[in-house]
Amino acid sequence: MKPRFDPTTLEIYRALFTSVAEEMGIALRRTAFSPNIKERRDYSCAVFDAKGRVIAQGDHMPVHLGSMPMAVAAALNQIEFAPGDVVAVNDPFAGGTHLPDVTLVMPVVVKGTRILFYVANRAHHADIGGATPGSMGLATDIYGEGIRIPPIRLVRNGTLDSDTMRLLLANVRGNVERRGDFDAQIGSLKTGATRLLEIIDRRGEREATEYAAQLIDYSARLMRHTIASIPDGVYEAEDALDDDGVADQPVKIAVRVIVKGDRATVDFSGSAAQVIGAINAVEAITVSAVSYVFRCLVGGEIPASAGLMQPIDVIAPAGTVVNANPPASVAGGNVETSQRIVDTLFKALSQALPDRVPAASQGTMNNLTIGGIDTRTGQEFSYYETVAGGMGARPSLDGMSGVHTHMTNSLNTPAEALEYAYPLRVREYRLRRGSGGEGKQRGGDGVVREIETIVPARMSLLADRRKRGPYGLYGGADGERGLNRINSQSIAAKGSHELKAGDRIRIETPGGGGWGKTD
Amino acid sequence: MNPRRTRIGVDTGGTFTDFVFVKDGQVQLFKVPSTPEDPSLAIKQGLARIAADADVVHGTTVGTNALLQRRGARTALITTRGFEDVLAIGRQARPELYNLNAIKPPPLVDDDLRFGVGERVVASGEVLEPLDDAGLPQLVETLKQAQVESVAISLLFSFLHPQHEERIAESLASLGVPLSISSRILPEYREYERTSTVVINAYLQPLMGRYLKRLKDQSPTLRVMQSSGGSISADVAADEPVRTILSGPSGGVVGALRAARSAGIKNVITFDMGGTSTDVALCDSGAIRTTNEAVVAGLPVAVSVMDIHTVGAGGGSIARVDEGGSLRVGPESAGADPGPACYGRSMLPTVTDAHVVLGHFGGGGLLGGEFKLDEERARAALGQLAEDLSRVTGKRVSIIAAAEGVVSVANTNMERALRHISVERGHDPRQFALLPFGGAGGLHAVELARALRIPQIIMPTAPGALSAVGVLVADVVKDQSRTVMFGYNAKDLTKLPKVFREMEREAATVLRREGFPAARQRHERALAMRYRGQSFELLITKTDGNVAAAFHRAHRERYGYAQEQSEIEIVSARLRSIGLVERFSMKKIRVKKGFAKPLSTTKSYFIYKRDALDGGVKLRTPCIVTEYSATTLIPADAKARVDQFGNILIDL
Repeated sequence: MKPRFDPTTLEIYRALFTSVAEEMGIALRRTAFSPNIKERRDYSCAVFDAKGRVIAQGDHMPVHLGSMPMAVAAALNQIEFAPGDVVAVNDPFAGGTHLPDVTLVMPVVVKGTRILFYVANRAHHADIGGATPGSMGLATDIYGEGIRIPPIRLVRNGTLDSDTMRLLLANVRGNVERRGDFDAQIGSLKTGATRLLEIIDRRGEREATEYAAQLIDYSARLMRHTIASIPDGVYEAEDALDDDGVADQPVKIAVRVIVKGDRATVDFSGSAAQVIGAINAVEAITVSAVSYVFRCLVGGEIPASAGLMQPIDVIAPAGTVVNANPPASVAGGNVETSQRIVDTLFKALSQALPDRVPAASQGTMNNLTIGGIDTRTGQEFSYYETVAGGMGARPSLDGMSGVHTHMTNSLNTPAEALEYAYPLRVREYRLRRGSGGEGKQRGGDGVVREIETIVPARMSLLADRRKRGPYGLYGGADGERGLNRINSQSIAAKGSHELKAGDRIRIETPGGGGWGKTD
Repeated sequence: MNPRRTRIGVDTGGTFTDFVFVKDGQVQLFKVPSTPEDPSLAIKQGLARIAADADVVHGTTVGTNALLQRRGARTALITTRGFEDVLAIGRQARPELYNLNAIKPPPLVDDDLRFGVGERVVASGEVLEPLDDAGLPQLVETLKQAQVESVAISLLFSFLHPQHEERIAESLASLGVPLSISSRILPEYREYERTSTVVINAYLQPLMGRYLKRLKDQSPTLRVMQSSGGSISADVAADEPVRTILSGPSGGVVGALRAARSAGIKNVITFDMGGTSTDVALCDSGAIRTTNEAVVAGLPVAVSVMDIHTVGAGGGSIARVDEGGSLRVGPESAGADPGPACYGRSMLPTVTDAHVVLGHFGGGGLLGGEFKLDEERARAALGQLAEDLSRVTGKRVSIIAAAEGVVSVANTNMERALRHISVERGHDPRQFALLPFGGAGGLHAVELARALRIPQIIMPTAPGALSAVGVLVADVVKDQSRTVMFGYNAKDLTKLPKVFREMEREAATVLRREGFPAARQRHERALAMRYRGQSFELLITKTDGNVAAAFHRAHRERYGYAQEQSEIEIVSARLRSIGLVERFSMKKIRVKKGFAKPLSTTKSYFIYKRDALDGGVKLRTPCIVTEYSATTLIPADAKARVDQFGNILIDL
């Protein structure tokens, strides 16, 4: 125990730093332009110490939260930050995850020179260029997926670098909306920095930085306590994605969890080699999924700091689908493979913790993008949405129906908001009854969402659990697999299509697996 | 309302029902034990003590409690076919990110009582598919068979084309049950939030209707405090009970605002600390902030309600040291039973026990000494906590240090609530005064004000009955909103005055009928504006002239930047119409100079008795001010004085 450790002050800083992150999120949501950010809240905000270690995050998107530290690390590694700089990064091979998620980082500077903290936010932009509107299509390498942004300064010394901004906007669809979202992200960083400076001013620089470090130790202690409560042993499991959208064969995820005392090693050796189709995950995503699973096991509040992962080693061999090398395409790694990594890891841990781990949830985000020209305004549009499904049954509770699970928690776009913003129409939105797996506890039901386009458009779908349903546990049945159609025509779960005005896309999402044998 | 009759403010609380009225120019108040089974019984008892033919204004928790305890009606929902499950899916997010055992609150309407009808209106307001009138008789029959007690009607884009909802309502009239119609109750977009609001309304209608009828039989002119401030007639409250969902707490805010005004202060943050929870709210430029993003019992309520934020931290919050070695306080509460250790029935170390150990009650107990506190038990409970703290820090932590820690952590939780409504919404606390009420508010006020850099505290008189005072003085209010979706251009702007005039005409008629001549009416116009592309509006009170400049300025103030090149959109025209209730002035008290004489002095504090303080006097610090229902703690480095109305003003 460090000499200056004081439980009261620790609790105070936990609340203070967390409220900074939350406040950044509110500012971002209230000023953003795209429905994906302002309605669906597909963003995350966090606070980092001077070394780039995360000390607090808002309760936003799990897949972002576990992976943002790598983006900040990459920015710190490549850029000599000056006061008033804002650095943008989305390159999956330099701290990003997939291209639409753009992370902005800003230093918090005292007395004109010294950097004490960094604030960062990550927002999913509804288009980042590339071959298909929405940038979530099936490219076969990173270059086809959109504009790749290594850590670069978007704002220099408080002034927007307009050359850089013009370059970015020239490469994306719907540039008015994109510009509005970038402005909102920058505004949100300023909000966070202002609040941190107030805290430093009020409580003193020394205490604030010391307790930032204390929070990291505190998270690590709680995590060690959690791991110690898991019986020592080696737990193995395998699961798979249906396919990569190119070759018709499953893509294996294998995990071996070694729990010893208060430490765990999570080894993904044996997972499939990286693939041609866009479902490759970079290491940040794999670490993020591991962090999510262990955080769920804590069973109470824990500061979302760098300490969380201290007692956990992750082994993700390079060149595999859980740690792809460039120039792999990665759009779906963040949204689909991340979910399967979670499923596989929980499956392994269910052997150690049979009374705590749920059956598989829908295991996909059902990414749907539609874009084209809105003939009402003559402007380009790009709509992105993920669709909820069934949650896996819990050992003592049914799974929830019609919810986002595990690595995402973005909201839906209300039909009325969607129809104001885009030349699209929601024709049906309901629970997909009976899709949850039977069992002593039932899996949650998926949903049915049907959208009609009223102009010609191009759509992409990136989804999984279409060939095998989410697994049940301990005798519970698997959940129903998902279905996708254009009009009455069944379509593949991964791919792009041209749509005529009046075409309807129907997505039926998977149900959760059941838990335990039905009596 | 007849200005010559006696008016009585009645606020139903968990323990007591408070009555406030004005007699011979004097404010009188008394308390009657509440009757939770049927709150109208306590009200009848209390009213029997005063004039029989009085005008009663009521702050109620009947609606809130029915919702929290799920005791509402068997309700059906009629919606656009294909969207029957919007209520169950909500916004598709799960309630807690990392809790594998989280549950979503089930919808208020069961699966088999949500019905879709054939019809479709689109975003332009055009009818894509006409209403299937032919199917309505069958629907009526089904609802009759199902023996529903109320019906909510919420169709897509009904606020652009209300005719379909109206026609359904006509068909359902024969059922003889209350109907809640979305285009009337909340003509705004976002179908889940609107439907949720209308369903809550329908769910509460029968219960509130019966409750208010019982009261109205006794008090025909009954008015009810609504959640956004201001009172509405009992008939409106019975038709639209969703508007009373924060009736009780909003009375407290109005009372607080009045006390602030008497002290000449316009910007206040109110802070109502109870046993299990604390309510905070922000009043800016003498006005109460409202929101349409409230969540009550896990369900969105999108009508305008006071922006009151509640946290699970109060006097009864329990302290413990967690597995990682952090001192946690709450959200678990000892409640009233078994209560804090000092109540003599538990060994739970709570915030109240910490205050006892620190001598903050001046050794006098609660309720003017009627309620004794067990100091030994409080010390024992905190002693156990101190041992736990010693173990994790590896050095000896005294009981006093442990108690101070508990108060600090409780303050941090409450500070977060205060930040949530102030800083997080773009307000600078340095421009506000803090107004604490409730039993324990005065014990935490100074520390909290310091944490937020709030320069002044106003401790109002009768902090224990402030909600009833607020209910009594609340104006009559009618809010209207028209979604216009205007662009910022000459053609659209010329249409605005007509929109406002129509709303004003309608409101003026209603207010006149309720006894307010034109001279006692006020109509406040506002525009909800945003940059085209955004989804959240800022409310601009300038409605003619250079509205754009006012909007850019407001955006810059709130978010730190403006986009002067971007297009502006006027989403809705809003009108708040107010019937001004006759003011009764605050009673001035005898004014003296110099320092007040303490009642007694302990080792650490001067002790004052509130009732004995004259106006104008200064207090010696550090001191504790005790009164019947509250205690105030003022440290040595703060200055305190009493104003001519009896408010204690503390300068930091």
